[in-house]
Amino acid sequence: MSNPSAVLEEKPAVAPRNVGILGGIQGRIDDKLPSWFTDQQRAGWTQFESLPMPSRTDQAWRFSNVSLLDLAPYSVAPALPDADAHDILERSIDLDDVSGRLVFADDHFLERDVISEKLRKAGVIFQPLERAMLEHEELFRQHFMSQPAGLGSAKFAALHEAFVRSGTFLYVPRGVEVDLPLETFHWLHSENAAIFPHTLVVAEELSKVTLLEHFRSTDRSRAGFACGVNDLIVGPGAKVTYICAQDWSDQTLSIQINATTVARDATALNLHLGLGGKYSRLESLSRLNGEGAHSDMLAVSIGDDAQEFDARTLQDHASPHTNSDLLFKNALNGRARNTFGGLIRVEPHAHFTDAYQKVRNLLLSDDAEANSMPGLEIMADNVKCSHGATSGQIDDDEMFYMLARGIPASVARELLVGGFLNEVLERLPDAILTAKLEELIAEKFARRGR
Amino acid sequence: MVKENTTLDIERNKGDFFYPETHTHDAGTGLSEKTIHYICDVKQDPDWVREFRLKALQTFLSKPMPTHWASKDLEAIVFDKIRYYLSGGIQPKRTWEEVPDDVKRTFERLGIPEQERQFLAGVEAQFDSEAVYSNIKKAVGEQGVIFVGSADGLKEHPEIFRKWFGKVIPTGDNKFSALNSAVFSGGSFIYVPPGVKVKHPLQAYFRINAENFGQFERTLIICDEGAELTYMEGCTAPKFNTATLHSAVVELVAMKGAKIQYITVQNWSNNVFNLVTKRGLAHEEAEVKWIDCNIGSRLTMKYPGVVMKGRKARGEVISIALAGDGQHQDTGAKMVHAADETTSNIISKSISIGTGRATYRGLVHVPKHLKNCKNNTECDALLINSNSRTDTYPAITVRGTGNAVQHEASVSQVSAEQIFYMQQRGLTEAQAMSLSVNGFVNDLVRQFPMEYSVELKRLIELEMEGSVG
Amino acid sequence: MDQLVIQDLHVSIAEQEIIRGLSLTVPKGEVHAIMGPNGSGKSTLAKVLAGHPDYTVTSGSVLMDGENVLEYEPDERARKGLFMAFQYPSEIPGVTIANFLRAAVKARLPEGEELEATDYYAQLYKKMDLLGMDRSFTSRSVNEGFSGGEKKRNEILQMAMLEPKYAVLDETDSGLDIDALKIVAQGVESLRGPNLGVLLITHYQRLLNYIVPDHVHVMVRGRIELSGGKDLALQLEEKGYDWVKEDASEPALA
Repeated sequence: MSNPSAVLEEKPAVAPRNVGILGGIQGRIDDKLPSWFTDQQRAGWTQFESLPMPSRTDQAWRFSNVSLLDLAPYSVAPALPDADAHDILERSIDLDDVSGRLVFADDHFLERDVISEKLRKAGVIFQPLERAMLEHEELFRQHFMSQPAGLGSAKFAALHEAFVRSGTFLYVPRGVEVDLPLETFHWLHSENAAIFPHTLVVAEELSKVTLLEHFRSTDRSRAGFACGVNDLIVGPGAKVTYICAQDWSDQTLSIQINATTVARDATALNLHLGLGGKYSRLESLSRLNGEGAHSDMLAVSIGDDAQEFDARTLQDHASPHTNSDLLFKNALNGRARNTFGGLIRVEPHAHFTDAYQKVRNLLLSDDAEANSMPGLEIMADNVKCSHGATSGQIDDDEMFYMLARGIPASVARELLVGGFLNEVLERLPDAILTAKLEELIAEKFARRGR
Repeated sequence: MVKENTTLDIERNKGDFFYPETHTHDAGTGLSEKTIHYICDVKQDPDWVREFRLKALQTFLSKPMPTHWASKDLEAIVFDKIRYYLSGGIQPKRTWEEVPDDVKRTFERLGIPEQERQFLAGVEAQFDSEAVYSNIKKAVGEQGVIFVGSADGLKEHPEIFRKWFGKVIPTGDNKFSALNSAVFSGGSFIYVPPGVKVKHPLQAYFRINAENFGQFERTLIICDEGAELTYMEGCTAPKFNTATLHSAVVELVAMKGAKIQYITVQNWSNNVFNLVTKRGLAHEEAEVKWIDCNIGSRLTMKYPGVVMKGRKARGEVISIALAGDGQHQDTGAKMVHAADETTSNIISKSISIGTGRATYRGLVHVPKHLKNCKNNTECDALLINSNSRTDTYPAITVRGTGNAVQHEASVSQVSAEQIFYMQQRGLTEAQAMSLSVNGFVNDLVRQFPMEYSVELKRLIELEMEGSVG
Repeated sequence: MDQLVIQDLHVSIAEQEIIRGLSLTVPKGEVHAIMGPNGSGKSTLAKVLAGHPDYTVTSGSVLMDGENVLEYEPDERARKGLFMAFQYPSEIPGVTIANFLRAAVKARLPEGEELEATDYYAQLYKKMDLLGMDRSFTSRSVNEGFSGGEKKRNEILQMAMLEPKYAVLDETDSGLDIDALKIVAQGVESLRGPNLGVLLITHYQRLLNYIVPDHVHVMVRGRIELSGGKDLALQLEEKGYDWVKEDASEPALA
């Protein structure tokens, strides 16, 4: 890493007390941050306290194992010792060629690879948000937490707002194309650490950018809680590709809330790879706001042991001539559970909409469980919408064919599962990214093999 | 509006007439323990039924309205203003001659006696709370088939009735099954002995004649081993100024190898809240098939279900919903697989016209360790114009590696180009529309018995009239 | 008055004039071809004749055997004997060709008269044999999943069944390979006769090798700029449309 960080020279003014996050934000507010921000933090906490915990009778939490949502054990972690930070930095490289890289551990900003002089001159901003809110206050404030969490996690969005202290602000000005992807790492490090990763991407008209985010745990046996928000604002004609590769430890409780707004003629592609976590919930909303807007919503989850993946999505068509295409594929082994609740909503007057939603579950064991709730709400005319949900298992004939060629059963299974998931990964516009995600999946298979 | 139409064609307005009330038994408005006691006294219920009703009332009162997932329109039901029991006497007649004239006229106008002569094995006709006519063809009766009202069923055949009553649909299943359990009256009790295959359908006809009234019939059908039965029900009510409530509970039990086909053509007037719970229990190699057609009502909420309890049991729901101006057809299906090699099939087609709204809700459950279970669900929606709305909300749970489940849904509409194309061939706009819509539902309509499918097509055509332009 | 007469027709869509004073006469028994470059308004003319609601006739008349058809709804025009073979025929899921055509034939019967199913099928099968079509064709949904050639053949079958006085064939050759083109052309040829006037709209000359027109008209920018015999088509094939435009007395869109 060629550019050591020197962003916030000072340590936080008030050292957090070692109490759980349910103890509140008292003493955690950083007075150096703008008052509108700290006010928002306080309001977030009030909001969090006033909202009820989710219950399974809420439609948005139907089938979810809400008993896993006990937040009592988790607390905000102190800054890392230098040696630990050094180790983490060593491990924080995935792509060989990037336009920039940010690394966070336990919500402490560690380091960044700055973007090139050319991009900087073009006006691209790629900064930790605690710095962006000072240096680009107006721009940041305009978009920060501007999308309400509408898919069930309003309470967790409020908690995020109360505790958020680091994350990524990416701004790409009009007409600027960032060729190489940008990369970030969020690490969970201390036992029972609670982190609140935030990502805000604003791509102005006719710009283009790709962001790959890694969510990882330094120690796969440690528990943690991640409550992240990532908002993508895609301007007219712009193209944003956002990938989240979630590989927390299997003891982690994870809630990730995404809102993407897509303007006229713009294209957004979201891909969420779910590998880790004890309970991992993804809420993803694409709002198609202008004619010609297009959104691809993709996800792959691989569940093992007692892992639970819980995805809730909304394809919200607010303008005519918009289209969205959702494809979620889940491979479930052990006692893994997956829940998908998705809705295509075509608002009145959003005529000539094409919207598709497909969920495919591959059940690999007798105890695996898949719940699917694909949904359609159509209030406009001249629409083409369809959804499909299937659950099945590995085809016996395909398996036998491979065995007959001398391929061991475990390898054959891996190949067939890989083939099943590939349809999603291949939709990425860049073969390098596809290959990287395939590597992560292979690592998970290898771990299971041990 | 009373239509002077004495032909046998069933049509939208055909049921829109009523005669003055001549009830001798009236439980008054509102619902309390007193209402329950009144109903029990009139019906001379055994004590266990009285207890069952009182307990159900508590369940009903304790359950919230399901508006957290269902339509807010439910809040328009004012339970205190409903009349829960109305009858002119409780003994159904065996011949139409004995049925009081005004009531007889009602059913003649609806064509029931005529249909009975033509193609039915038995008919029960319910007028408000009680059956006024109940008859089964002699040959069918001689085979040991029991076809009586639910009140007679529970008194005369307690050994079969009590064994299954409330077992397929427990009182607390939902708020409206609890309401029905508290105040149920009328409906059919049918028992088909082992091996008996009833060739012609049995039919029930439900008629609401009184304003501010709630009809709560309760039907229990048991087909013993290897028996087969087709049951059809029709419903109409005049269009009163105030909303009317219909909340039935229908339980079907198909023993080993039995087959039950239950056909509904629901054509309530457009201010009836139609909130019905229907479920069948299919034992080994048994088959329960619901054919459900919803054309009338203001709000229908109905999700016929099958619990496949025995190996190789089959469940099927075929559903057609037509949501016209101001209507909300909230329909669907529930398939619970509880044994190996069970298969279920759901085909649902809905048409939304004008401001109509059609909703599909489905539940498919394949629990752990079952092998070779299959479900197939198809739901297709057709939108006719820009004010209409359609929603689809299935929920599918599958565990284990031995099962295959698939769900496909689509939304389409009749496009202006399609209509123009047909007009160029000389069809009027209305003919073109009707042809398209019939094309959409044709394959399902064919599943209805002949007599009904013709009627259905005509109903759909009538509904489509004037829906474009 | 056995002719289709288009007089000084002006047509607009969304305020833009597409047909600008077109006049043309097609007598019964004749085949007239209209050729023209893309965007000349050829297909618009077909749709306007059939009464498509997207277009507004601002002035002019279309007389069919002396009667102004512009005053009628699309289905009334059709029943009076005007047939249009669509460039892109609509798909009608769930409605079989047999049922569709039956409804169309029935719509032409005088009120109170019933269509005997046996007569209808006899007639249908006769026409299909004439066009060399397989019987199983009629049980398929109208145009659903049809190849380009099947769609066009279906159009010709309908024309054969409905026996129009005048037929407008809009780009009937589009989307057809050479084999399909021959079959469709043979179908049209077989229907040719003293009781049918045909207006054939096409971009390419190749169709006219198989359906030899009595007259050829060249349409440029919304009006007929040149008329002639069948040789005119060959000339166009050779020289393209540009020379017609140069000859055109009116300048391009004002």
